Amino acid sequence: MTLTNVFTKTTRDRWKGEAIGAVTLALLFLFAMAVYRDIDLSVYTSLPEVYRTLVSIPADADLASLSYGAIFGSYGALTMAGMALAMGSASVAGEERRGTIGLLLDNPKSRTSILISKTAAMVFLTGLGTLFLWGVGLIAPEILNVSIAGMHVGALAFHMFMIAIFFGFLAMAIGAWTGSPGVSAGVTAGVLFISFVGAGLFPIIEGYETVAKAFPWYYFNGSQPVNNGIAWGHIGVLLLGIVAFAAIGLIGFNRRDLRDQTSGVTLVDRLRANPMTEQFADRLAGSARVSHIWTKTASEHQGLLLVTAAIMFLMMGVMMGPMFALIDDALAGMLEGFPEVLLALFGGGDMTTPEGWYQLETFGMMAPISVMVATVAIGTAALAGEEDHRTMGLLLANRISRTTVVLQNVIAMVVYGFVVGVAIFAGVAIGSLLGGLGMSVGNIAATSLLVTLVGLVFGGLALALGAATGKPRVAIYGTVGVALVLYILNAFLPFNDTFAGYARWSPFYYYLSSDPLINGMNWGHGAVLTVLAAGLIALAVLVFNRRDLRQTG
Amino acid sequence: MTDHIAIQTVGLSKDYGDVHALVELDLEIHTGEIFGFLGPNGAGKTTMIRTILDEIRPTAGSASILGMDSHEKSVEIRNFIGYVPGDLAMYPNLTGRDTITYFANLRGGVDWAYVDELADRLDADMAKKVGDLSSGNRQKIGLIQAFMNRPEVLIMDEPSSGLDPLVQREFQSMLREVTANGSTVFLSSHTLSEVQRVADRVGIIRHGKLIALESVASLRSKGIRKVELFFDESVDGAVFDPLPGVSDVTVQNHHVTFSFSGQMERLIKVVTDTYTLVDISTQEADLEEIFLTYYRDEDVTA
Repeated sequence: MTLTNVFTKTTRDRWKGEAIGAVTLALLFLFAMAVYRDIDLSVYTSLPEVYRTLVSIPADADLASLSYGAIFGSYGALTMAGMALAMGSASVAGEERRGTIGLLLDNPKSRTSILISKTAAMVFLTGLGTLFLWGVGLIAPEILNVSIAGMHVGALAFHMFMIAIFFGFLAMAIGAWTGSPGVSAGVTAGVLFISFVGAGLFPIIEGYETVAKAFPWYYFNGSQPVNNGIAWGHIGVLLLGIVAFAAIGLIGFNRRDLRDQTSGVTLVDRLRANPMTEQFADRLAGSARVSHIWTKTASEHQGLLLVTAAIMFLMMGVMMGPMFALIDDALAGMLEGFPEVLLALFGGGDMTTPEGWYQLETFGMMAPISVMVATVAIGTAALAGEEDHRTMGLLLANRISRTTVVLQNVIAMVVYGFVVGVAIFAGVAIGSLLGGLGMSVGNIAATSLLVTLVGLVFGGLALALGAATGKPRVAIYGTVGVALVLYILNAFLPFNDTFAGYARWSPFYYYLSSDPLINGMNWGHGAVLTVLAAGLIALAVLVFNRRDLRQTG
Repeated sequence: MTDHIAIQTVGLSKDYGDVHALVELDLEIHTGEIFGFLGPNGAGKTTMIRTILDEIRPTAGSASILGMDSHEKSVEIRNFIGYVPGDLAMYPNLTGRDTITYFANLRGGVDWAYVDELADRLDADMAKKVGDLSSGNRQKIGLIQAFMNRPEVLIMDEPSSGLDPLVQREFQSMLREVTANGSTVFLSSHTLSEVQRVADRVGIIRHGKLIALESVASLRSKGIRKVELFFDESVDGAVFDPLPGVSDVTVQNHHVTFSFSGQMERLIKVVTDTYTLVDISTQEADLEEIFLTYYRDEDVTA
């Protein structure tokens, strides 16, 4: 049934990304365990239970379970799920987008068998990745001489595998139904995000603990598999979802017309077709959009920008204020002696204050991720994307220098960064107002500015990598990898006296280390980030001017 | 001296590792001519075009367009050129009109009346998204953006791919019109018939080397003709082989065809002395046959 050649081709196309992801996670795990080993862990005995649940830490927290919880429980599972999602959304929808699906289906193979082969490759690679991480999870404690008695590393890895392919299947189903890899990846990433936040947040809100069960992520670590072994009931729930997605995907793919390499019909297209709105929409989609290179670039990821900015504004901004007002009394009692090292992973901060709450929930992790999503998307699409789509030659046949092309796209990137930054600022300011938290508006603005600058640093990195190679994959994976490592270095290094000083080498250090929510703008740090971003952009200009354009995509 | 030279390459070479994509290419394209650049797939045509447009940089040698160095003055050059890339890709989400507007903005404006005239002549659909167009219709948008600024030099890589014969004819007359107005056309192609119809001169490239450079007129003046003879009985091909000027003899029973570049009188005499000639037809050979006749050796050694 399974097409060996489609399976092997898909596996071959995709194994590098999976391998890089798994190896990066393994290194981070080793690193985290090594750092935890040097820390006095006595503080963990006073951990409130809800927090242990939130970050997957058992009652008798020791450094092994901390490492598993921090790396496998959050980043690891998110990364594995993200990679499965990418493969799932690219499966048949990716072939349709590239216009190769017709060629593939010219062969005497059914749509069903092709979809199964592609999905099998996703499951296979995710399985290999988790097997590797399982192995590292067992070997690392040996190397570092850490006891893992009573830990169910295999169970954790298995749960991680199941949640990853759960999202892989969801992405596959949406892609198979719609034929659009963009819709599939976007919707699935949204579900993944909401699920991750929901499963983490609801258990700490008294009276709402059970709501967490509505989110798939709950069935990954809600049962604390690393301590309690495999929870077959939870696995069953995930399996049910997987089977449902598989069925939906197969049915959807078999019954619909294949897309030829066409563009989707967007809202603006409909507005353009309607005589009532034609004039306005025409300006927006037509003449305004193509008036400059930067407006065209900016117009191409407006959906992503809109969703990112809306999530940050509403969920991470506005909603968090009233929520803090609801639970701050409970928090105050529980947080005595809460270990800083753990909070550092989520950006640190004293959760009994509104500033600390917002830092942990919004600014610590989600804010930099959201700004980077926007800036890295532009940084990647700007040069590498244009080259990959083979339109760079045509663009450069016009009276513009390569430098102009880079700088025009930088404008788009800066605009994107600031749109998300302003959304975060407005959301948090309104949330603070609604919750009556009385946070300083100026400090919120300062922090939002700093996170925007962090986003531009990594956008600049994506731009430079794209300028140097012309390959979108190098630009995006390279940037995400570097950002992940630098983020974790900045979170952990300050707790180790020997290495504390090295945190300064991470751009993230110049974001929150000065506590801008409390102390306001640190212009020195702002300047460091600005210079860094400008330096990377200058580098992009330099390398792009010196290089041969790629021949093909 | 550069006044009448539109494109010049001097020892232009491009290596990709061990692969020599272009080998010391020396070429001069004169102002106002249509130059056909011919060669099989992978011969180096696209590499040459991408090099003179500064998309890629030569390993050795240099190129200039309208007397300006193709690298140093690359941005300035683009004021004067129109370009159709091979295997044309455009922005699928933009309509034809959006695409033209985009490039017009990058070029600092365009004469829209002329754009509409071009669209009309090529029968192009400007309202549809480029991603929804067939490859031929997409190609038309690519042609419009190349012609629309009345460039002094048009550089086109397989420009008529996907176009139907009627539109191809229209396109060819557009090429003649712009050269009549003093523009220069550099036309890369692997189909001789197209080049034959429009080009003034042709260059042939194989394995990165220029193996032939001739004017179409002088090629024709070599007087090669294609001859067909019909007899009332089966004939022996060996009779024709030793005749001067005869090549590519094929015999099918009563029917003989060959390329001929000698004196017709002598041919007829020899033939009628041996057999009874029923019918004779001769026609001017096309470039394909001329090249097969003249450049076979280069083909083999290249």
